[in-house]
Amino acid sequence: MTRSDWISILIGVALGLAVGLFYAWSVSPVEYIDTSPASLRSDFKADYLALIASAFDGTGDLARARARLALFSDPNPADSLAALAQQRLAQGRPGPEVSALALLASALSESPPNTPVSTQTARPAPPATTTPTSTRFPTSTSRPAVTSIPSATPGSPFNLESKEMVCDAQLAEPLIQVRVLDASGNEVPGLEILVVWDTGQDQFFTGLKPELGMGYGDFTMTPQTTYTVQLAQADLPVTGLRSEECTDSQGETFPGSWLLVFLQPEGAP
Amino acid sequence: MRIIPSRLVIGLVLGVATGLIYGWIISPVEYINTAPDSLRADYRTDYVLMVAQAYAVEDDLELAQKRLAALGPEPPSEAAVQAIQYAAEQGFSQADIEALRQLALGLRSLPPPAEIGGP
Repeated sequence: MTRSDWISILIGVALGLAVGLFYAWSVSPVEYIDTSPASLRSDFKADYLALIASAFDGTGDLARARARLALFSDPNPADSLAALAQQRLAQGRPGPEVSALALLASALSESPPNTPVSTQTARPAPPATTTPTSTRFPTSTSRPAVTSIPSATPGSPFNLESKEMVCDAQLAEPLIQVRVLDASGNEVPGLEILVVWDTGQDQFFTGLKPELGMGYGDFTMTPQTTYTVQLAQADLPVTGLRSEECTDSQGETFPGSWLLVFLQPEGAP
Repeated sequence: MRIIPSRLVIGLVLGVATGLIYGWIISPVEYINTAPDSLRADYRTDYVLMVAQAYAVEDDLELAQKRLAALGPEPPSEAAVQAIQYAAEQGFSQADIEALRQLALGLRSLPPPAEIGGP
């Protein structure tokens, strides 16, 4: 072939590419339809996860919540949910939403995926495709039996069982550590705890650090500040919490923490 | 002159083929950063169902409306009705359909939004 032949072919290729791109970008641009939740933008994804948790809070259907979460292919959804709960708590989002996230995170941690929840579990979620299919999601036709998740009996107050100072040099910062147990001694996740001090207040929830226990929650203290802690479902606040100095074996001092244990009395209404 | 157009056509075909191979095989479209309004019908229905299940415990219509608004500009009650239809067609459980029905009823009980630019 002569040089002019090659030039003609190259011009043709360039024209072809231009036509293809013009068609793809202007005439018939990509339309996002029939997508799966996994492709959602991060903020929508966070909202979707929070919605899964709220729905779980309403139904107690752990198998279905697990099937919904499986759409995101997250190897450790419990940690992601706990982190999201912390993040939303910091953003000042509504307490019930944070509580629902904590509850679902705790439920997932307590009941690993291979634990048989019931014989009738939700079917695996269909893979995302770009064309509509007859597959439907979800297909659970009845609420599966849920593995027992400790939860507080509504209206039952919690009593302060113990209050002790903790001198743990491993803790980077002084903490108010709270552990909440129901009447059977099971840890209770998702409970709101209010912390008040001279110049402000904050809240935290149990169950956001599943690795430390479902009924565990903590709050970082500022030295020289006195705190009052009120468990949302306890009658009396715990007052006068202040980080005291501890001394380690080397004689060095470090700020101490507090551990509060709340217990639901036997036969609570 | 008779040869040049044929070369051009060959080039065009090669160009289009290259574009298609690149677009479909080497670097196909990845759906990322999408919004809930683009969800497939089954996921969309499940989204509305989750809103309904959350509404059943939260009893907060405003929050339910806000969540459904993510599905697009259509009225939230319409999204609920479409979800009921899909759920019925696909044989969702009675409890699911009832939850959706309660949500639709709640949304329909709300006053219609005020018209903008009226007299």
